[in-house]
Amino acid sequence: MTAEVADADIVARTQAGDADAFETIYRRHAARIYTLACRMAGSADDGEDLLQEIFLQVYRKLGSFKGDAALGTWVYRLALNHCLDYVRSRRAKMNKLTETLDAETSFEPQAPRDTPIARLDLERAIERLPDGCREAFVLHDVEGFDHKEVGQLLDIAEGTSKSQVFKARAKLRGWLKK
Amino acid sequence: MHPSENAITDYVDGTLDTTATADIDRHLESCPSCRRLVDDMREIKGVAASLELREPPIRSWTRLERAVTLEAETRSAQRAQSAPPSVALHAQRAWRSRGALGWLAAAAVLLVATGVGLKLILSTPPPSTARTAAPSSTAPNASANAAAQSVEAELRQAEDHYEKAIKGLEQIASAEQNVFDPKTAATLQKNLAVIDQAISESRAALRAEPTSEPAQQSLLESFKAKMALLQDTVSLINEMRKGNDAGAAQIVSGLKQKGD
Repeated sequence: MTAEVADADIVARTQAGDADAFETIYRRHAARIYTLACRMAGSADDGEDLLQEIFLQVYRKLGSFKGDAALGTWVYRLALNHCLDYVRSRRAKMNKLTETLDAETSFEPQAPRDTPIARLDLERAIERLPDGCREAFVLHDVEGFDHKEVGQLLDIAEGTSKSQVFKARAKLRGWLKK
Repeated sequence: MHPSENAITDYVDGTLDTTATADIDRHLESCPSCRRLVDDMREIKGVAASLELREPPIRSWTRLERAVTLEAETRSAQRAQSAPPSVALHAQRAWRSRGALGWLAAAAVLLVATGVGLKLILSTPPPSTARTAAPSSTAPNASANAAAQSVEAELRQAEDHYEKAIKGLEQIASAEQNVFDPKTAATLQKNLAVIDQAISESRAALRAEPTSEPAQQSLLESFKAKMALLQDTVSLINEMRKGNDAGAAQIVSGLKQKGD
C-alpha cells in the first residue's frame, strides 16, 4: 500500500466512525504537533491545550483533506496555522498591556557555560524567550523555514525576521554561553 | 567596523553571497569578539535543529478521545434526522464500542470550556492596566470600578466552570477508586489534600481582598492543578482498564513527583 493510499484509507475509516483509525492519526503525529505547540506557545501547559484544539480541528476538517499532500503535511499546516492564530491573538492582547515583554529574565543552565550547549537547557531557554523573537527563532532555527517564509507566516518583513532571530540567538547565548 | 546584526545572521545561516562572506571572513580574522559571537550562534543554531520531539502526556489522548466521542455522538444524532437509522447508528456504536469512555464525554465538554475560560481570564488586563487604557476624559474611578467588577464577574464565571468540571471528575474518580492499590490511592489523596488546602487559602485571601490579583491568579492556578490531577486520575483508570501497565506506571510516577 502506498503512503497516499494508506492516508486516504485511514481518513476514510475515521470519517466512517472508526475510532481506532483516528487514534492512529493521533499517535503518528501528536509528538510533532505537541512539540511545535509547546515551543511556539512557550509553555507545556499551553502546548497541551493547543494539541487538544488542533486535533479536534483535524477531526472536524478531515473531510477537506484531498490527498494533494501527505496527511502528516496537512496536519502540520493546520497545526502551524492554529499556533500562529494563537500567538497573534495573544500578542494583540499583550500589546494592550504596559510594556513588560522585554523584562530581563534570569536563567541558569544545567550544563557549565564553557561546555557544549545541552539540548535540555536550550529547550528550557527557548520557553523564556520574549514573544516575537521566540516564534521567529522556532520557525527558523528549529522548524527550518527561511526568513522570507517566517516573514510571511508571522506577517512581518523578512529583515524583521532576521533581527528577531538575531535577538533570540543573542539572548540564548547570554543565558547559555556567557 | 563590526558587521550588522542581519549580516551576522545571514553569515551564520550561510545565505550571504561570496563577496559579503569573504568580507566577514576577513573581519573575523582580526575580531575575536565577533568570532566568538558567530561560533556561539552557529552552535545554538545547530543544537536547535537537532532538538528532539516531546511526547505529550498520556492524558492528552484520553481528553481528546472523550471530546471526539461526544462530537461523534452529536454528529450521529444530527445525521439520524436525515439518514436511515442504520447508517447513523453505525458511527455512534463504533465510538461507543471503545469501552468505558463514552460516560466521560460530558466531563470533556466542561474541561474544554473551562480551559478556554481560564485562557480568557488570565489574558484579561488587570484592573490597574484597564484603567490606563480607559479614555481619560471619563471619570477614572468609575472605569476602574467597572473594570474591577468585570474581572470579578469573570472570575466567578471561571470558578463556576471549574467547580462543575471538578465535581464531574470527582464523581468519576470516586466511583472507580477501588481499582487503585492502597499506595496509589494514598498518593492521590495526599496530592488532592495539598491542592484543596491551596484553594482554601486562596479563597480566604480573596474574601479579605476581593480585587487582589495574586489571590485571583492563585485560586485559578489551584483549580487548574486540581483539574489536571483529576484528569490524570481518570487517565490512570483508563490505562489500568486497558491493561496498559507501562502507561499506568508513567502516570503514577508523575503523580508521585508532583506530590514530592
